[in-house]
Amino acid sequence: MTNTKADIKAISNTARGNILAKLKAEVSGADYEKLPEEVPFNYPTFSREENLAQFISELEKNHAQVIKTTKANMAEVISEQLKALNITKLLYGENDSHREVITALDSKVDLQAYDFSIDNNKGMLFNECPAALSSSRCSIAATGSIVLWPDENEPRSLTLVPPVHFVIVDANELHADFASLMTSQQWQDKLPTNVVLVSGPSKTADIQQTLAYGAHGPKALIVLLINI
Amino acid sequence: MKHIIEEESKYAASAKAFRANVARDLGNEELRSNFRGAMDYLMDKRKGAFSSEDELEVLREQCKLIKQRCLAKLPHLLEQLEGNLEKNGIKVHWAETITQANEIIAQLIAEKKGKSVVKGKSMVSEETALNDYLEERNVECLESDMGEYIVQLAKEHPSHIIMPAIHQNKKQVAKLFADNIEGFEYSTDVDILIQQGREVLRNKFCQADVGISGVNFAVAETGTLCLVENEGNGRMCTTIPDLHIAITGIEKVVEHLSDVPPLLSLLTRSATGQAISTYFNMISSARKPGEKDGPQEVHLVLLDNGRSQAFADEELKQTLQCIRCGACMNHCPVYTRIGGHAYGTVYPGPIGKMVSPHMLGLEATTNLPTASTLCGACGEVCPVKIPIPKILLRLRQESVKPKSQQPQVMKGQGAGRSSVEALIWKVWALVHKSPKIYALSMWGLTRFRFLMPKKLGGWTSVRTAPKPAATTLHERINAKQKKAKQSQQERG
Repeated sequence: MTNTKADIKAISNTARGNILAKLKAEVSGADYEKLPEEVPFNYPTFSREENLAQFISELEKNHAQVIKTTKANMAEVISEQLKALNITKLLYGENDSHREVITALDSKVDLQAYDFSIDNNKGMLFNECPAALSSSRCSIAATGSIVLWPDENEPRSLTLVPPVHFVIVDANELHADFASLMTSQQWQDKLPTNVVLVSGPSKTADIQQTLAYGAHGPKALIVLLINI
Repeated sequence: MKHIIEEESKYAASAKAFRANVARDLGNEELRSNFRGAMDYLMDKRKGAFSSEDELEVLREQCKLIKQRCLAKLPHLLEQLEGNLEKNGIKVHWAETITQANEIIAQLIAEKKGKSVVKGKSMVSEETALNDYLEERNVECLESDMGEYIVQLAKEHPSHIIMPAIHQNKKQVAKLFADNIEGFEYSTDVDILIQQGREVLRNKFCQADVGISGVNFAVAETGTLCLVENEGNGRMCTTIPDLHIAITGIEKVVEHLSDVPPLLSLLTRSATGQAISTYFNMISSARKPGEKDGPQEVHLVLLDNGRSQAFADEELKQTLQCIRCGACMNHCPVYTRIGGHAYGTVYPGPIGKMVSPHMLGLEATTNLPTASTLCGACGEVCPVKIPIPKILLRLRQESVKPKSQQPQVMKGQGAGRSSVEALIWKVWALVHKSPKIYALSMWGLTRFRFLMPKKLGGWTSVRTAPKPAATTLHERINAKQKKAKQSQQERG
């Protein structure tokens, strides 16, 4: 027999009271001013070129493809890549930052805007969208990570479900490491519904420690690096 | 101290059978070779991930202090986390026991008339045996992490907390797929195997109405649930279905968002030698108006299950610093040899030996803390500097204390106490306190050494019986000194 909503609420409330009471009894009178200082590691500072080289090398180590390009050239690059992959259709988010790329692609590939709710379109998203194009907010050199900041125009599943993910990365938005990025952008004040750091195509080593790409997310991550 | 009485976890029985499990698994050559290979691989990966000893040590100290601070403030951070999550539209539920956690989750699913669940990797849901619970209630519960999927197909449970199917090799997985997946043609090519798993599971992601995940870090300051993964199944489970339920232990909360980067860096490097996982997923809200995807509802279940017991003791509290990287098991000579299933618990290896007694009580787990050579490797690699060998010694003490001795720190105190052993140690202490009794007993032991039995229980099952010398060390030294004196006198 399943409990009712009220039963569950009662269970949870009692548990909450008991757990917090036990924990609070142990910390009562604690002086949080006296906690020892936490000293972070002092990482060396790198030049823009060094950070870029590190970013690209980490991504490539993780099987991402990095293509240096320009906004003007991007449509050409994407359509060539799609042709090589035998893909004719591209899903994209209606983001102003790369509207001209979409316009230029219009004559080259079958474009589909992510302008629908996922609720009645899961089958289409999973089965009829072989590739997607998204922007990114910024990136991290130390680990070769791209920061996705999904919103109404670029939904979360845009960069997750299609097997090939093209992502535009602006070299001017490259940060040295995750800690300094968070601090400089004050993330604690304004986290959106979801933020994802992506550092390569989906992978797994769950079978006999043998690395295989394309586990559940994109099989290919193609990074379009601009403003180098 | 009051302990909650609840129905026993199914793992209590298998943990009690520890010795029999060990005998079984030590005799399985294929299993031993699978573990040896995997542990060598993981140790190598970790070694390669820390190029500078300096950086590693500074990070370990920093992360230890971060976790200790967060534990020092734990009840306040849990309240802050709850407040911020609820502000963001994420409902928070609390459970003291595994049954309560399962009841809460089952009700949340029933309310939405959910029939099909996809699960991201969650060790806490293994702890509660959630799959069994839901399946009894006709809810299909499919594991979607590749390793977990394999383990579920094989009707087993994970043998490693990071790589659940590490005990199987590709031939075994190929056979498993051929036996269970319609239309799969036997192949040991790992790419083909993974693509097969991908195909099955993508269909499920598309259809499932509920996604269940664990949590690696819950950030109090922002009300954010962080998930670390490589496969993308965690993102699938938390993005595609209409309802997302996350479950985690109360110790996973961190105070600030800025606490996350150093912990994340140590976690992935210690676990698999990766600078970062493929995906680091930060969830702060359910779908907001205008957004096109994401779950309509997000819930977090916070589970105690013995953690508050560890919290109440200054030394044992350090157990809760654990960030579940698995490095201690990767470097454990015992784990490598007996494998993950022999422990009989959800969490195997050194970390399992430390946390399981709190979850299952010492009655079921009294053997576990003794399954250590105390070589110290686990403590040396632990990214948050948990003194694992020291804590294992402490658990051994709790296990042999008189049952009634106060204060009662652990459920099942004294479960491993044997009156014969206690008497032996009492006599031992008496003998060693008095030089006269000591000399007399040594004299007896050497003169009557022929009385030493050939069979000494567990000791002689794999060793020869010890044989006392004909004379004591003291006697031999005395004799030697006497002889030296004599010859000196003769020469003089």
